[in-house]
Amino acid sequence: MTVLIKCDVLVIGGGMAGWFAAAKAREQGLDILLVDKGYVSKSGETPYAGDTAVFDPEWGHDLARWMEQVSVVGEYMNNRHWNELVFRDSRERFADLRSYGVQFLEKDGRVVRLPHPHANIELPDTHKFPPTASEVVHWLPGFPEKVRRHLIKIGVKLKDRFMVTELLKQEGRVVGAIGFSIEGNHAEVIKAKAVVVSAGGGGFRPVGYPTHELTADGHAMAYRVGAVMTSKEFVSPHATNPDDPAWPPMYLFFSAGHSAAEPGAFQAPHLFNAEGHEVPARGVAWHGWIDAEYEAHEGRAPLMVDLGRRGVLKVSGPGGHGSMFGHATGGIVPVNDDCATDVPGLYAAGDSCGTCFIGANYSGFGFATAHAAATGARAGLGAAADAKTLGAAGGLDERVVAAATARLLEPLERKGGFTPNWATQVLQNTLAPYFVLYIKHGDRLQTALSTVEFLRDHIAPKLYARNDHELRLAHETKNMILNAEMKLRSSLARTESRGTHYREDFPGRNDAEWLAWVRLKEDDGRMVAFKKPIPAEWHPDAAKTYEERYPMRLPNEVAGGGCAAPPGASLEGAAAESGAAPSSSSSAGPGAADREGRR
Amino acid sequence: MAIEVIDPALCNGCGICVRNCPMDVIRMNREHRKAEIRYQADCMLCGQCLECPEKAIYLKPGWPKPYLLGWG
Repeated sequence: MTVLIKCDVLVIGGGMAGWFAAAKAREQGLDILLVDKGYVSKSGETPYAGDTAVFDPEWGHDLARWMEQVSVVGEYMNNRHWNELVFRDSRERFADLRSYGVQFLEKDGRVVRLPHPHANIELPDTHKFPPTASEVVHWLPGFPEKVRRHLIKIGVKLKDRFMVTELLKQEGRVVGAIGFSIEGNHAEVIKAKAVVVSAGGGGFRPVGYPTHELTADGHAMAYRVGAVMTSKEFVSPHATNPDDPAWPPMYLFFSAGHSAAEPGAFQAPHLFNAEGHEVPARGVAWHGWIDAEYEAHEGRAPLMVDLGRRGVLKVSGPGGHGSMFGHATGGIVPVNDDCATDVPGLYAAGDSCGTCFIGANYSGFGFATAHAAATGARAGLGAAADAKTLGAAGGLDERVVAAATARLLEPLERKGGFTPNWATQVLQNTLAPYFVLYIKHGDRLQTALSTVEFLRDHIAPKLYARNDHELRLAHETKNMILNAEMKLRSSLARTESRGTHYREDFPGRNDAEWLAWVRLKEDDGRMVAFKKPIPAEWHPDAAKTYEERYPMRLPNEVAGGGCAAPPGASLEGAAAESGAAPSSSSSAGPGAADREGRR
Repeated sequence: MAIEVIDPALCNGCGICVRNCPMDVIRMNREHRKAEIRYQADCMLCGQCLECPEKAIYLKPGWPKPYLLGWG
């Protein structure tokens, strides 16, 4: 039996972004339903976050400096319009959180502000980073419960432990969603005038990080109804311990984070390779992470990190590393400041929303939460305004609902096939080795893509579920397979290295070709990659040398993005395979004109 | 490996661990009115079940699944 629930605005995902979307939409007097696969306040990545960035001129912050830091570390892939919006919004969102009852770390009656740890990292070019390029405030434990209580108090309806499998689209507009309760084997339909997707980003269930429910569900459901995706080639790397990869769990790191982030106490870790030599911190991304990966690539792992008085820790092995997802960068492209998307009725927020806020590399502590809060509030207000323009909406098309219901229950109907656990492990083994999504090469990306295409075409349709628990896993596995295709196609399309995207066959930044975002869109059943040029006023100063534009070095770097593989053939091959538009026609990808027109 | 034990002698059946688990590892045994580990392989060691008011839950370090090439 199909259950029907009605609301004005449906918010999918109850982390920081979803909280703000629901709260702001509710303040407009509408009927709001917030659904989550887990229990709102315990789900997603938000419970593990320790802080949020607050930009406040009264605290002496300089917007130009904050923006410069994001541009340099994000290697000019950041959207400076969104940087400014989020930074300027952050003070109000901080005030909102306090009004919701969230308590922050205080000393002598004042909120403690902590500088950006990068300010203290001993990079060779420390002087290029302003001493105070961002500042964060820390909330006290239990903050998600405070927000949950606030949402209930203001009348937001919560539906916990409910997985959305599909957005329902009718006559070109998203009109709701379909899903099922985690403990239940039947479909439930939610009819809504507008929908906010705030379901986080997506990884591949890496060991050591509690991101396993983040299987790119939001990205996948939006892509399937025609939304444009961006910047999926960039990653958010986090090293784990190879001997006990799942221990200690992330929450221990975060609980220790408060003391680690004390002013002046945060030191750049010294990495040593297996031969006892210090690994040069020449590279980008989270404390020389590409250098660490490259040491493993060269056969000099495991690496050891000297934690000073806390001893020595083995941090990497010859295999892959823990990886989360594109935090505050890749995702569903917003087309206006209200986080609307290309699909009418659909809004995106938080890590689901591809604002390109941090660009090619994550630059600041507390940026993801500040971004989630700002985009969440904007999406909530946008969706509410949109919903208000619609009168009593018509009924749902029975055929649309029937088809979606059949797809939802299909894994339960099958008598046999492949288990989601097995398919997920095959996917992990395709993507987890360091040489696929970290130290990339066109040939290896293509090899992985072949496997992923097989999983997509042959395995995913035959996944079967023996109970409600496996039904969830089956849908998550399908979403992870789609996310894998997105990451591989975007990585193939970007024929250069930049930020966390390192191509061994193109070991340098290529400003002539790639001051552009890689976008993805479904076109006649195929996933197509295309370029979206970055506005010229956001480009690095061409008068500066390459080394000045990019202060952080890459292994085997060729300034200007030289081609290590045979020139010409590889470049064209990679672009053709990925469907990337040639640079000569890069000014207008599919739908680009439409999106500009609606801006 | 993963979540190892929910001590039935200590569990008071409040269900906090069931709702807190983002991975649906724990379910309530309706007959005995005790929480039980139903899908251990999906434990991601987030530790949110440790909010247990009776301290009935023990997590064991390590990774519950075998892997071929592996992370780490």
